[in-house]
Amino acid sequence: MADTGSKTDIRNSLTKPAGWLSLVTFAVLSLACVAGFSSRLFAVIRFESIIHEFDPWFNYRATHHMVATNFYDFLNWFDERAWYPLGRIVGGTVYPGLMVTSGSIHYVLSLLNIPVHIRDICVFLAPMFSGLTALATYFFTKELWTPGAGLFAACFIAIVPGYISRSVAGSYDNEGIAIFALMFTYYLWIKAVKTGAIFWGALTALSYFYMVSAWGGYVFIINLIPLHVFVLLLMGRFSRRIYVAYNTFYILGTILSMQVPFVGFQPLKTSEHMAAAGVFALLHAYAFLQYVQGVLTKSEFRYFFLFAIVAAAGLVFLAVVGLTWAGVVAPWSGRFYSLWDTGYAKIHIPIIASVSEHQPTTWVSFFFDLHILICVFPAGVWFCIKNINDERVFIVLYAVSAVYFAGVMVRLMLTLTPCVCVLAAIAFSKTFEIYLKDDTTKSNVEEEKQEKNSQYYDKVQPGKKQRIREDRPKDAEGIGMNIKSIIIICLLMMLMLFAVHCTWVTSNAYSSPSIVLASYGNDGTRNILDDFREAYYWLRQNTDDKARVMSWWDYGYQIAGMGNRTTLVDNNTWNNSHIAMVGKAMSSNETAAYDIMRLLDVNYVLVIFGGVIGYSGDDINKFLWMVRIAEGEHPRDIKESDYFTPQGEFRVDSSGSKTLLNCLMYKLSYYRFGELQLDFRTPPGYDRTRGVEIGNKNIKLTHLEEAYTTEHWLVRIYRVKDLSNRIEATFSDTKAKKPKVKYSRKTSKKKRGSLKHKPKVVPGKKPTKKTKTKSKKN
Amino acid sequence: MTHFNFKMAPKIVLAGALVLFAVFCSSHASKRTLVLLDNWSIRETHSVFFRSLRDRGFDLTFKPADDASLALVKYGEFLYDNLVIFAPSVEEFGGSIDVAAITSFIDGGGNVLVAANSLIGEPIRDLASECGVEFDEEGTAVIDHLNYDTQDTGKHTLIVADPANLIDAKMITGDTKIAPLLFRGVGMVADPDNPLVLNVLHASSTAYSFNTDSPIEEYPHAVGKNTLLVSALQARNNARVMFFGSLDFFSDEFFSAPVQNANGGQMFETSGNRDLATALSQWVFKEKGVLKVGEVKHHKKGETSPPDYYIILEQVEYSIEISELKNGKWVPFDGKDVQLEFVRIDPFVRTTLKSTNGKFKATFKLPDVYGVYQFRVDYNRVGYTHLFSTTQVSSHPLRHTQYERFILSAYPYYASSFSMMFGLFIFSLVFLHYREETKEKAE
Repeated sequence: MADTGSKTDIRNSLTKPAGWLSLVTFAVLSLACVAGFSSRLFAVIRFESIIHEFDPWFNYRATHHMVATNFYDFLNWFDERAWYPLGRIVGGTVYPGLMVTSGSIHYVLSLLNIPVHIRDICVFLAPMFSGLTALATYFFTKELWTPGAGLFAACFIAIVPGYISRSVAGSYDNEGIAIFALMFTYYLWIKAVKTGAIFWGALTALSYFYMVSAWGGYVFIINLIPLHVFVLLLMGRFSRRIYVAYNTFYILGTILSMQVPFVGFQPLKTSEHMAAAGVFALLHAYAFLQYVQGVLTKSEFRYFFLFAIVAAAGLVFLAVVGLTWAGVVAPWSGRFYSLWDTGYAKIHIPIIASVSEHQPTTWVSFFFDLHILICVFPAGVWFCIKNINDERVFIVLYAVSAVYFAGVMVRLMLTLTPCVCVLAAIAFSKTFEIYLKDDTTKSNVEEEKQEKNSQYYDKVQPGKKQRIREDRPKDAEGIGMNIKSIIIICLLMMLMLFAVHCTWVTSNAYSSPSIVLASYGNDGTRNILDDFREAYYWLRQNTDDKARVMSWWDYGYQIAGMGNRTTLVDNNTWNNSHIAMVGKAMSSNETAAYDIMRLLDVNYVLVIFGGVIGYSGDDINKFLWMVRIAEGEHPRDIKESDYFTPQGEFRVDSSGSKTLLNCLMYKLSYYRFGELQLDFRTPPGYDRTRGVEIGNKNIKLTHLEEAYTTEHWLVRIYRVKDLSNRIEATFSDTKAKKPKVKYSRKTSKKKRGSLKHKPKVVPGKKPTKKTKTKSKKN
Repeated sequence: MTHFNFKMAPKIVLAGALVLFAVFCSSHASKRTLVLLDNWSIRETHSVFFRSLRDRGFDLTFKPADDASLALVKYGEFLYDNLVIFAPSVEEFGGSIDVAAITSFIDGGGNVLVAANSLIGEPIRDLASECGVEFDEEGTAVIDHLNYDTQDTGKHTLIVADPANLIDAKMITGDTKIAPLLFRGVGMVADPDNPLVLNVLHASSTAYSFNTDSPIEEYPHAVGKNTLLVSALQARNNARVMFFGSLDFFSDEFFSAPVQNANGGQMFETSGNRDLATALSQWVFKEKGVLKVGEVKHHKKGETSPPDYYIILEQVEYSIEISELKNGKWVPFDGKDVQLEFVRIDPFVRTTLKSTNGKFKATFKLPDVYGVYQFRVDYNRVGYTHLFSTTQVSSHPLRHTQYERFILSAYPYYASSFSMMFGLFIFSLVFLHYREETKEKAE
């Protein structure tokens, strides 16, 4: 740390005369913010200013509620339209940071008489925060390495797809602001470690508080910082600075985090937070030992030390085990287990495994999301290890843990991204520093200037990849000018390719609102498929205000947000048995499902069906998860194996299993689909998503009726009928024959009925004797 | 979406027919009755029954069952409130009437009285099966070799039905201490699992239903007490339908005939047919056994208007007004067994309502579980219309200001934090003071 500090000082003093260093810095940073903001606007430009996907709809609805009422009403909000009939305590089950942030922006703007609809604030919140993230990353990297690396890092984080994926305009989710909070907390922590000042420690705690209020990922901070401290202890780098920084942070941070209702007593009670508490105790024990060391003689101390270590370790271990066993400290939650054992969720908690963003990451997505940075960042780690100091230990630990977690869950790619940007920036900065240096060792001013310039370029049009291995830092003195230029050009090219890749990925992969789909014709024309909103607005306009809509939990937030109707389950999957109930209804036959639906007062059932347009995220493709979740709670009624063919395949065509072909979800998806011929090359009832002709084309519904189907059949809504007014006789165990259904002999002209044994009256003839009037006779 | 104020206006879900009936009941209009006949002579042979209906205010319209101008609906409105089908041998109804029209008449709230006999035609059987009743086939009759009347012609089809075999529901059958009943006609059975069909009168254990002219080669359609002579359906919309196996049951001849069981029974001057026919027709045309829900109120104890939402563990008062139709007038219902349930999937509270003058009340404490609940009164008694009233309310958890501010078990913590503050204060004083001393000493 000392080196870096002095270097910077020298450079600063050398560049001062010109005064343009700060100008360049300012320009690069503002360009990074602008580029970051504008590259996130694809979705708004192509579609409209609209909230995306699923969770953002809830966040938006909650924000809207908060803006419409007040903060305390929001805190006490009991949402009786979700999780019918259980209801959901929203105030106590939500991280309010996001809503409070946009709520306050809205408040300030309205104070300034700038009327902005809260939806627009929500839509543009994440892009705005991406600018702040770039700034935080700049400061963080600056503390770790040099301001030059900081500029690189700011530019990288502004456009890297791994972060854009969660922060495009309209993606109004916790992660959008949480990454800023994360980087800013880390920056302050590094600052606190460097200075050992209570001031910075307290600021770290405040920033940590914001992070806790914003995202459940705060657990990453509260484990990484203790880990940092612990490793520093092991490395013998303990100092008063660390003691002060950590204690200030931990005590204030814990107290503050407990103010968030959703977190409550968790920091004291759950295993996730125990590492922080353990390090807190350890730090004090260590400090105490250091103090004792000063008082005792060496031999005395050795015994004392051994005894104290063993006793303390044993005591802490026993305490944690004992408290866990006694139930005071909650054991690891399932979500946490699944971080260590990737197969855990699949076996024990299907509801977690069913979410695609909880799947393990593929190799491709590392490159896809980070491009050249993922190749360069090991070099950055290497440079940090080579020139280790207290705060570089932190970034190394961050890198190692984040890489592991990103490999376990796609979603955690997000936490890896900032650290990759920082380390790649360090690697690039270091490389450029070497190769841009004139052999004639000119003044450092020149070097700095060039470095800054390169930053400036890469911001506007970054590029690509590795070659870092070729730089041999100190002993590369003898490389000729030409080779240096070639290498520089190669690196710039790679950075440029990086920028191109980022833009391409953002535009193609991460800028779809997913509630509005677009398809492109051969001639490049664009068709908008707006079926989701069509269906939700139908619900909004045509159903009773209190109507209850059953659907799979994915669509709960959207139905509540856009349709404004009561839902049974939604994306806040807090009650597994309620979800299993819905899963059971979907996977049972119609009669059994009807009983469940009546029990839950269901009025409408909504299913997503992609067979007409070939949309692969529909309910039939999710169906096995419904079965698995239902089986977890109702193993007697639902068995996953019943839904497979004897060969173990999941098929919807005629060789599919009988159970599948008659379950509610199948019937609702394919009702009347057998009559629909999409084109002349395929038979009627040809499912484009699964590429087969469906197996049950003659679907009859008894307890439900079709209420609405959208233009492309993407959303289908069914009404649940009342109990039948009468119950028909079955004639099952009697000898009498069922009444024959005769077709009528009446015509539109001749409406006369007929009676048995009725005397035929022919005009002009006398009635014959033998016909007698009937009814009276016997 | 903005705010989820619960509209407290009590939402009464009550079968539409009941309301409809309540509206009509005060007026004469509810008594418009269409009588379908096999032939005009039935008007004369069953005149006593028809006159009793007229005397009770029914407006009877007689039509042959095959009349080409028959219609139940005109311009989307029902032309009649009640339908009497005394036309067992009909093969096809005339005009726009068919079985589907009659069932939709029932589903629209109309009441139907059907009498059949051994000549029963397919439409009547079809109509019955739509209502959950299975008539035996044409040409069969209920035969009882031990309980037949002395007037029987030898086939033992004029059977004597014991009033003890009537359903145990005074509201339907009226007084059951009546003379035995004469019956000649076709039998029927009903699925015992069907909750809507009532076995109004069943035959004795020695009866069976079969074709009188053919030898018995297979198991009869109905045997013993399963054989129903009279059955009734009260549909879920409270429309009432009654099936008689015997058209002669209503005839003037049976009304006035003496009854004596041929196997040494007591001699009765007149049969009980007339009494029973009157009682059953009163029930089926909804002159009795009809309930309606009036005002439903709920609020916190000590208040008068319903809140936007309740909070767990509050005391709640609930009241519901129920009235009953008696002699053409709505009078307060005096049932003692009306229960209230407070339901969230399962009932959390179930309590009997106390009635005062038709107003049923209960006071209870809300359960310690938040959620969306329903006050539900589901009063379903044989003979009465199904009374169902549900009101949805939500029960919220405590607000953040409603928790206890100080709890006893936390006093040690309060003490420790205050002592800490105090200690810190003392410490800072001492610390500051001490440091200056050391400095002085060093100097």
